[in-house]
Amino acid sequence: MPNALHNILLIARREYTERIRTKGFLIATVLIPTLMGGGIFGMAAIASHSATKSHIAVVASQTQPAADLKHELENGKDTKMTVDIVAPTPQVLSALDRQVQDKQLDGYLVIHQDAQPATFDFTPRSSADIATSSAIKDGLHSVLSHEYLAQHGLSASDIDTFMQPVTLNIVGKGGHKGDSTASFIVAYILFFLMYMVVLLYGMNVARSIIEEKTSRVFEVLLATIKPDELLAGKIIGVGSVGLTQVGIWMAAAGLFAARAGSMSAVTISVTQAIFFIVYFALGFALYSSVAAALGAMTNSEQELQQLNMFLMIPLFFCMLMIPVLIANPNSTLSRIVSQIPFCAPLLMNFRISLSMPQPWEIALSMALIVITIYAVLWVSSRIYRVGILMYGKKPNLPEILRWLKYS
Amino acid sequence: MSIVELQNIRKVYDTKVAVEGLSLSIQPGTMFGLLGPNGSGKTSSIRMMIGMTMPDSGSVSLFGQPFDRAALHRVGYLPEERGLYKKMKVLDQLIFLGRLHGLSEETARARSLAWCERIEITEAIDKKTEELSKGMQQKIQFIAALLHDPELVIMDEPMSGLDPVNAALLQQTLIDLRKEGKAILFSTHRMDQVEKMCDEIALISRGKLLLSGSMREVKAGYPRNRLQVAFSGDGGFIRHPAVAEVTVEAGVAELTLRDEGAAQQILAGALAHGTVITRFEVIEPTIEEIFIEKVRASFGDVEAGGIADA
Repeated sequence: MPNALHNILLIARREYTERIRTKGFLIATVLIPTLMGGGIFGMAAIASHSATKSHIAVVASQTQPAADLKHELENGKDTKMTVDIVAPTPQVLSALDRQVQDKQLDGYLVIHQDAQPATFDFTPRSSADIATSSAIKDGLHSVLSHEYLAQHGLSASDIDTFMQPVTLNIVGKGGHKGDSTASFIVAYILFFLMYMVVLLYGMNVARSIIEEKTSRVFEVLLATIKPDELLAGKIIGVGSVGLTQVGIWMAAAGLFAARAGSMSAVTISVTQAIFFIVYFALGFALYSSVAAALGAMTNSEQELQQLNMFLMIPLFFCMLMIPVLIANPNSTLSRIVSQIPFCAPLLMNFRISLSMPQPWEIALSMALIVITIYAVLWVSSRIYRVGILMYGKKPNLPEILRWLKYS
Repeated sequence: MSIVELQNIRKVYDTKVAVEGLSLSIQPGTMFGLLGPNGSGKTSSIRMMIGMTMPDSGSVSLFGQPFDRAALHRVGYLPEERGLYKKMKVLDQLIFLGRLHGLSEETARARSLAWCERIEITEAIDKKTEELSKGMQQKIQFIAALLHDPELVIMDEPMSGLDPVNAALLQQTLIDLRKEGKAILFSTHRMDQVEKMCDEIALISRGKLLLSGSMREVKAGYPRNRLQVAFSGDGGFIRHPAVAEVTVEAGVAELTLRDEGAAQQILAGALAHGTVITRFEVIEPTIEEIFIEKVRASFGDVEAGGIADA
């Protein structure tokens, strides 16, 4: 029906041009990535500068291993602490306690070397200071290991070789060396991007329908076009705004990554990008149709707020399923949940990022989504047609079921 | 061929019967008035004519064919509750609505501009709807209903809320459209408009048709038994045997007759006695009187208050 298509596109175009010109769109487009990017980089910056800088005292009767520990803690990879070594005198502990109380010290470590093996008591100013205590623990472990190995006749260079951390390379299917952390990060980024946009713009679809109901424009529109054309047009129009926004964000991120160059430990492959776009479009269309149904059932934003759990619940379910997918992307449970139409856009896409499922699984999930979109749209346009003419009254479930029977 | 033909349509919402057994037909080139008190089923009937709701039983035909959405391109509709996109500029809005009715963008633009000129609202073209007064928004929507040159124009309370100047302007526009051969149906409870404009009327109350037909037919059903006579001199003519009731005030006598035919005899009698007659009028029942009487009867006298709220 070229006529229906003509109408849908007209509605979509109007919706698109009106929304894209608003200040809200501009602000969201610029502000959200700025805030999120700022947040991420800010956190990264804090994390990289988070080497513990605590000032502690070590109470030890012998110079070793206290001196080695001091060296380790003051010049270690992740620690930049200040360490004072004090000899155990009867008054030292009460003096240290006072210093801790006056905040001159972050804590003190007492080494009891007469015991076999030696015991270590750390008194921190705040027991929540996990970073300091774990740095001390690591430092002690390293120092004691060195000492033990040296006692058994190993040279310093041998000890260093021996103490090297092990690197485990993850080899993917094609024999490519992959970084599993990177693929997790990509999968998570894509997941949350989709989650956010679906939620944001899905609600926008519902809102635009309510807006039309309050302004009563639909009465003129429905005198020419069918409710399903109107709904489809709205979903496409508002959806394109969402896609435009994500497109801008991704292009900006791409440019940024290209500039930043080396930071692209996180790379999105072409396949991932294509599947993301396809599943994003499908998922968005699906959730928007549900939102359209919610919008059709309600008369105000307040009522909509009460119903938006119908959008949230499947999304939350998807989040709960993520650990299952990570544990085993190809288990039966993973396969089943990634076929549920409301989860497939997020979960199948997540699985594709983790490990490529069978082609038929992808095809099936897409087909199921398309069928569901059509079914939801069919239902919502019926609810819409009857619902708008019964405005002012909140429908109950039997009424909604009865609406579905109307042509 | 009837432009609109409703046959025995019935519509029930929940437990409320909105329309019950309504039949009516509208011929080309007719100005048709759909009258009725508030909540009588006017809007429900109109919505069924344009396929926004379906009748539970009965049939709707447009342009001699059973209802088909394709025919809606030949219908212009002004809903009772006005609605336009608030943030959209007037011209864009008109073009959008015109295109939804199947016009090309250029045609829609040209016609919008012409219509704005015609109903004197050109200054609003570049404004957003939310900046306009209610009356201006109504004029814009009036244009939107007519842009695609429909053969059937359906308007739900087109004049409500307009000042007298604008109401007269739109009335004249509708009369001009009727002259061009278009069928126009409008609902109202302003009886003076009906009296001035309509060729045919249908009166509904509580979902049922009370009466319908051409103005002449409707009025013919009521006796023309009232006389108004302005006179000076001998007032003896009022004592005619056919006079049932009479009031005389400031030289004007109002007489109710037992027999319509007696009017001429009374005039002749008065002239024979040398009474000077300055005005002699057989009073037709007004639509307003018919409306009130009929509606009152349909409700029972108790609820009649507040019906003629126009």
